[in-house]
Amino acid sequence: MEIISSIPVQALHGLVYGMLLFLVASGLTLIFGMMGVLNFAHGALYMLGAYFSFTILQWTGMFWLSLIVAPFLVMVVGMVMERFFLRKVHVYGHAHELLLTFGMAYIIEELVKIIWGNEPVRVDLPHILSGSVTFLGIEYPVYRLFILLISFLVFILMFLVLFKTRAGIIVRAAVSNKEMVDALGFNVPMVFLLLFGMGAWLAGLAGVIGGPYRITNPAMASTIIIDLFVVVVIGGLGSVGGALIASLLIGQLQSIGILFLPEFAIVFEFLLMALVLIFRPHGLMGEAK
Amino acid sequence: MKRGRLISWAFFLMLMLLLVGLPFILSEYYLNLVITMIIYSLFALSYNILLGNAGLLSFGHAAYFGIGAYTSVILFKRLGVSLIPGILAGGVSGGLLGLLFGAFVVRLGGTYFALLTLAFNELIYAAAEKWRGLSGGEDGVAAMRPAFHIPGFGGIDMFPTKNWYYFVLVVVVLSAAFCWYFRKTPLGRLNECLRENEDRARFIGYNTYASKVVIYIISCFFAGIAGALAGAFQEFVTVTFINLDKAAEVLIMTFIGGSGTFWGPILGGCFLVYFNDLLSSMTEHWALIQGSIFVLLVMYAPQGLSGLIIQLKTRLCPTKQ
Repeated sequence: MEIISSIPVQALHGLVYGMLLFLVASGLTLIFGMMGVLNFAHGALYMLGAYFSFTILQWTGMFWLSLIVAPFLVMVVGMVMERFFLRKVHVYGHAHELLLTFGMAYIIEELVKIIWGNEPVRVDLPHILSGSVTFLGIEYPVYRLFILLISFLVFILMFLVLFKTRAGIIVRAAVSNKEMVDALGFNVPMVFLLLFGMGAWLAGLAGVIGGPYRITNPAMASTIIIDLFVVVVIGGLGSVGGALIASLLIGQLQSIGILFLPEFAIVFEFLLMALVLIFRPHGLMGEAK
Repeated sequence: MKRGRLISWAFFLMLMLLLVGLPFILSEYYLNLVITMIIYSLFALSYNILLGNAGLLSFGHAAYFGIGAYTSVILFKRLGVSLIPGILAGGVSGGLLGLLFGAFVVRLGGTYFALLTLAFNELIYAAAEKWRGLSGGEDGVAAMRPAFHIPGFGGIDMFPTKNWYYFVLVVVVLSAAFCWYFRKTPLGRLNECLRENEDRARFIGYNTYASKVVIYIISCFFAGIAGALAGAFQEFVTVTFINLDKAAEVLIMTFIGGSGTFWGPILGGCFLVYFNDLLSSMTEHWALIQGSIFVLLVMYAPQGLSGLIIQLKTRLCPTKQ
């Protein structure tokens, strides 16, 4: 009986995590669609967002400042990664690019351990975001609702940019056929760089808001990257809409699954990913290439 | 050409002599380190059948290494199996798991292959972690390594490091010899052909799917043997034999050594084991240095250390080309 009554709260938890996951996954899937590179370091960028925000908070004590500044710092890291590392190995093929991002993820994780230590760090929330509210008889932490609000706003913004602006059209065109976009005279390497930067910005933002909620620690990158891979595979590599559906699905699977089969929630996740790869390698919404 | 061959054989013989003589030169500590190097060389060799020869980037080879280790250690403990059958059972369990998963993964290529192997690795990891009755969960399983029985002769105690070293050496040299020979067999040739152009191989009439599954099984078998040796060596196996770090380790080893040559993975395995041991005694940030070397090699020497050596060789004696 207790399980049934906690379903609505758990479903809300799942929605919060799903939206957070989507913020990170959307950049990852777009980068894959366009460059053919699955960025292993994307989880590390998310982690950097959380740690940058922690440091800014330590220095200034202003959460809202860190919410603005930290994602831009992560964006710079991402653009440096693309321009000075990834682009250099592009000629060797996708396997090398994958290995490079894998190595960068490894290095960032070790650097984080050196700079901020192995133990989790505590991020203090501003007064207005701590505590909880009660609605419809459910008591719910304000901060999680804040995550939901921010991720929803960014989600709308991203859809507007992708589907209503010229830049969005170019990005979507480059995802589906970059040779053609190149032939039409657009600077495709520049589009890559900007897209990578945008993906890093999104990951960094998710890190800033996700850090206090999912514990800022050096393992947060390797924890989320697994969920991210599952999301992009299930949604279809390169599909933003697919990533949204898959993120919400994984969010629910984790939060509801934990009620019924706490031991096996993670097993189901991988099983789902394996089944999708075996029977529908292009995912729910992905296009066959 | 003939002279080159002679040099290769001379080099090989000297290496063998050195390996046989090592227990008389090295201290106990370094002999243990060399055993680890030899075992990981085999693991990297098995991995390179996929990465180097087939061109398949796997993020899940630890699953087969781990199941080999668990199988042998559990058999030693529960059934009192003797040494050779235990190690072989480790290889066979790796091969069987390779058959089960290989049937699915070889259908895919590139990033999809990498992701599916990763997913299967995590499944096996989760199974080992949760199935406490068999695997001991996070506590792992411990078992003494049994003596080596020769029928009609008695047993050789495997407790002295020297004896164990020779046993591991023989098993790994035999396995490595098979891997070397495998590249010359029709199936080994086909493996490289599949990497270059799978469609063409299919048009010629090869059953590419079945061939890939068999190749995958062979690779997993030797990963299982390496795992069984590692488990028997440590006399203890935990989930760290299967986790993603282990899967990454073999990938890094093979890549650092160079996936383009036969001896590259051996070089990489020895280098990384030695290097990690050296660095971990000097600094706690050895993983950072290891990662940086890896990234530098990916960027500037895509053929790894063996590629660098070959480049150096051609530069020193350019006539040989």
